[in-house]
Amino acid sequence: MARKVLGNDPFGGDSPKPATASAKKPVPPAKKSAAAAKKGEKKKPAVTEEAPAITAAPDPAPAPDSPAPSLEKAAGAEVEEPSLESVIAQLDALLDQARDPAESRPLLDRLASRLKALTRPEEERALAPAPAAAPVLDDEPFDAARELLGSDYYLRRWGQTAIRDRSEEVDDFGLDPEYARRWQPVWDLLYDRWWRVEVEGIENVPTTGRVALVANHSGAIPLDGIMLATALRKEHPGARPLRWLAEDFIFHFPFAGAYLNRLGAVRACQENAERLLRKDACLALFPEGVKGIAKPFRERYQLQRFGRGGHIKLAIRTGTPIIPVTIVGAEETWPMLFQSGRLSKMLGLPFVPITPTFPLLGPLGLAGLPARWKIVFGEPMAMDAYRPEQSEDIVLVNRLNEKLRETIQGTLDRLLRARQSVFKG
Amino acid sequence: MGDGEREGPTMTDAKDHDAHAVTKVTPPGRVVALTGADGFLGRNLIGLLEDDDRVSRIVALDVERPATAGRKTRFYKVDLTQPRVDARLAEIFASEQVDTLLHMAFLSSPTHASAWAHELESVGTLHVLNACRERPVHKFVLWSHTILYGASPRNPNFLPETHPLRGHSESRFLRDKIEAEQVVASFARSSPGTLVTVLRLAPILGPTVKNYLTRYLGRSMVPTVMGFDPLMQFLHEVDALAAFKLAVMRDIPGVFNIVGDGVLPLSTVIHLTGRIGLPIPHPVMYPIVSALWTAQLSEAPPTFVDYARWLCVADGDKALRELKFRPAFTTREAVLDYAHSQRMRDAHLLRTTP
Repeated sequence: MARKVLGNDPFGGDSPKPATASAKKPVPPAKKSAAAAKKGEKKKPAVTEEAPAITAAPDPAPAPDSPAPSLEKAAGAEVEEPSLESVIAQLDALLDQARDPAESRPLLDRLASRLKALTRPEEERALAPAPAAAPVLDDEPFDAARELLGSDYYLRRWGQTAIRDRSEEVDDFGLDPEYARRWQPVWDLLYDRWWRVEVEGIENVPTTGRVALVANHSGAIPLDGIMLATALRKEHPGARPLRWLAEDFIFHFPFAGAYLNRLGAVRACQENAERLLRKDACLALFPEGVKGIAKPFRERYQLQRFGRGGHIKLAIRTGTPIIPVTIVGAEETWPMLFQSGRLSKMLGLPFVPITPTFPLLGPLGLAGLPARWKIVFGEPMAMDAYRPEQSEDIVLVNRLNEKLRETIQGTLDRLLRARQSVFKG
Repeated sequence: MGDGEREGPTMTDAKDHDAHAVTKVTPPGRVVALTGADGFLGRNLIGLLEDDDRVSRIVALDVERPATAGRKTRFYKVDLTQPRVDARLAEIFASEQVDTLLHMAFLSSPTHASAWAHELESVGTLHVLNACRERPVHKFVLWSHTILYGASPRNPNFLPETHPLRGHSESRFLRDKIEAEQVVASFARSSPGTLVTVLRLAPILGPTVKNYLTRYLGRSMVPTVMGFDPLMQFLHEVDALAAFKLAVMRDIPGVFNIVGDGVLPLSTVIHLTGRIGLPIPHPVMYPIVSALWTAQLSEAPPTFVDYARWLCVADGDKALRELKFRPAFTTREAVLDYAHSQRMRDAHLLRTTP
């Protein structure tokens, strides 16, 4: 069974190298006689390279100059033992080269197995299938399988089949770079062709160091965070990665929370924002929150209350410059016709928007209307003039918050006046 | 006492070891007592402390003698669910001159015997603390859990130690442990003479540990909640032991999250272990798990479904800063190490660990 699966080579898609693809056939913990027979072909890795996939057949004969097919296991096995090990080591090295060279964990693994042996009680240690050679006498093929299963090589292979489209690691806040990269073409298409986003003032965003982008939240379906991230990735000279804070309700709801989290959204709360900024991230905040996206179409581009100034306190505390960001176009992309109160109660969402496209066209409707977007990055507001303890100064916080809000509202009004057409820009 | 895996106490040699005990002189090193000495942590810690010269005597308290007990260990058969156990503990502390007490008599997996578990964990902790009031110890170390914070969509990505313990109130497993933490916290306030260290451990994974989590991930189809993929955080068993050893060796009071570095989405954890996820919509997940739990076919009660939906990840910075604890294994390495041995178990190459 196992041998057949491996013979079909589920790993082939990942590693284009024929050498590694054929080389792993010896692996399976297969029937005893077969595993013993394998040794013959494993002895010389050079041969396996040309060996066609058919060598996976239980009969090892096709390998031209293989030594006497060691179907009788006792005699030949002891001599061949070291060569098996060396071949595995070679395969390992080969694999390491083929794959990411950064992934060199052998040292840690060795440490792990040593520690493992330490923490294991006596009898267990004796029984342990640990790489500690375990010289074999009677059931030799059985032990060969044991050794193979114990090698890191097999583990990595196993992992690769399961994780095709994801990286095996996410960062501390759940961003999966590999997964995000796979979705980039979709966002690029929307960005370039559907909304034809125009960007102004991107040079105001520094290439390094912590910075908070405070933007207006608009449109019934909050994709402005993703578009902001796309803009920075495509237009910014440093292709700065952006994290943005998303409303709580997204994380209550199936699919949306997990999906946006892998792309870079983080639940909006002071602790998360502060941690990200202390790591010198570029962080987008939408202080209007749900009020910004849930407002009816007739109130479009009228900024709502900017929270309670939490973002200002945060910026003062961490000495982060704030860049006011204005986004125009999202309101017309998803004009909210009305909200369905009953549906939102049923789904446990703060609001369910009914737009001309959204529930009607299904998931495709999420793309909305092709209104032209414009994103303007304003002049940074430096915060290092204030001491961290001034973040508790409510009057100062409110004053700065109002100033920031007026800046964005002013830019909004300017852009709206300059705009000739909603769809042509 | 710690594993919830016990087959039932055997009534064998209760105090065999102290029969031929050495004379009671003040030992030069520490005298460490462990409750729940036959649990996973206790058993392995005894093995580690046996090798450490700074510890001169180990006092193992449990209903069963740990197999790792060696030359330095003295075993006392103590059942924390018995009413007069506090007096007996105080007696043992005095006669053995215990200076450090590790309280680890907790279940590592939920049990159906919730009344007994309550007596053991919540009331048992009271007994232990009463004994410490009667005969003070220098240091008291409590085994606690980060899952006590509770999974919630409103949790910040990294929970600090100051975050309230909001574990599901319907879960006896969590509630008993939260109660134990509360009484230990009030003990710490009222007994300034005793250093109280609370270690909140992330869920433990590793090659030899067995708990509800290893059984959950050991299923061939691992049920998950459709549309949810929370970030998970684990602690390698070696790091768990190292943290306790550190707490024994260093006198640093306080509450510490002991966690592995990094996080992994649940789906990735399942992939890394070579399993297949079985997504079930959450409205039906709770009743299904509830039915399975009643039928004793599930590892955990339905209250644990929350952990498959939302975040419960703790911040280990304080342990690094103050306790100087740096985990050797990341979350990912802990998962891989577990997966590795699990596969060998699947192939019947590895006997299940004791």
